[in-house]
Amino acid sequence: MTKRLFNRCLCCLLFLSFNAASKEYLIILKDHLFYPSQITIPANKKVKLLIENQDSTPEEFDSFDLNREKVLYPNRKSIIYIGPLSKGHYEFFGEFSPNTARGVVIVGDEEAQHANN
Amino acid sequence: MKALNLYLALSFTVFCLLVFSIPVKADGIVVDKVYHPYVLPFEREFEWRLVSHQTDSGNILAQRLGGGGAINDTMALEGYIVGERDDNGDFGLEAYELELRWQLIEQGKLWADWGALFELEKKHNEDVYEATSGFVIEKEFGKTSLTMNAFLVYEWGQDIQNEWESEFRAQYRYRYRSAFQPSLEVYVGEDFVGIGPGFIGLQRFDGQKQLKWEAGFITEISQSEKNHSFRLALEFEF
Repeated sequence: MTKRLFNRCLCCLLFLSFNAASKEYLIILKDHLFYPSQITIPANKKVKLLIENQDSTPEEFDSFDLNREKVLYPNRKSIIYIGPLSKGHYEFFGEFSPNTARGVVIVGDEEAQHANN
Repeated sequence: MKALNLYLALSFTVFCLLVFSIPVKADGIVVDKVYHPYVLPFEREFEWRLVSHQTDSGNILAQRLGGGGAINDTMALEGYIVGERDDNGDFGLEAYELELRWQLIEQGKLWADWGALFELEKKHNEDVYEATSGFVIEKEFGKTSLTMNAFLVYEWGQDIQNEWESEFRAQYRYRYRSAFQPSLEVYVGEDFVGIGPGFIGLQRFDGQKQLKWEAGFITEISQSEKNHSFRLALEFEF
């Protein structure tokens, strides 16, 4: 019984293995601040956040809402894949500078990236 | 990318067919921990795990203390010492263990997130070795995450009959709040199919310092005899 159920799950994994092209959104981390601090992305689509850390120290992107944690090496671009997400506000912050490095991903119907700085 | 997805899915399928072609079995306590496929560079941690296993014949208490950290962007190495109290109430050093976790793919890049786990264990004062390898996968479904572990284990040594074993673990978790994420856990091993509720959570401190906790209460459902396991894990990352 367990074996049969497990085999079915495996078949689902095989058939559902896909990866749609992801749109990119650039975010700059400078002086421990994210620019822009607010981005808007479409609902139910996977997107790619390109985060360029222009500071001389590493930072750690952290978001419980987005279920992501990622080290941002200094003077390097890091990629974070997020989504597909339902409509809402998803906050993120830098673990080493939680008071300044903060931002929000707004998931909405209409795509309007870099809406606010 | 699609090819990579298919390759990983096929590898996992072949691996699991191999795992399930061996009767699902594992000596000792099957309930332990459901691994997640992520490694963070710079992570260092201390970990303490406890499993209390209650049956009609008595209670076995196992504790595990370990420490380790990331050795590069995608791999983490940890060492453990394992202590166990048997039915006679004797608590002592039971085994040493080395564990390598490997994040195979960037989180969110593919349909599911993939990792691998390798463990080598040596029983204290006995010529008994155990090597474990397996896949760890996690898939997000909105605010919930499904994590599955499939392990193939080989035991050998002068004091044990050489044999292959297999284990399957799963955790379905609702990411309610960072401090409290209720879950349902399943463990499958030798003559053991266990299921029960659990929760995980974490509290952040300065920088990378954080305390994670996990607990679960697993009941064996494939047999009528009493067989309950309580598991608790604390992990301090710094």
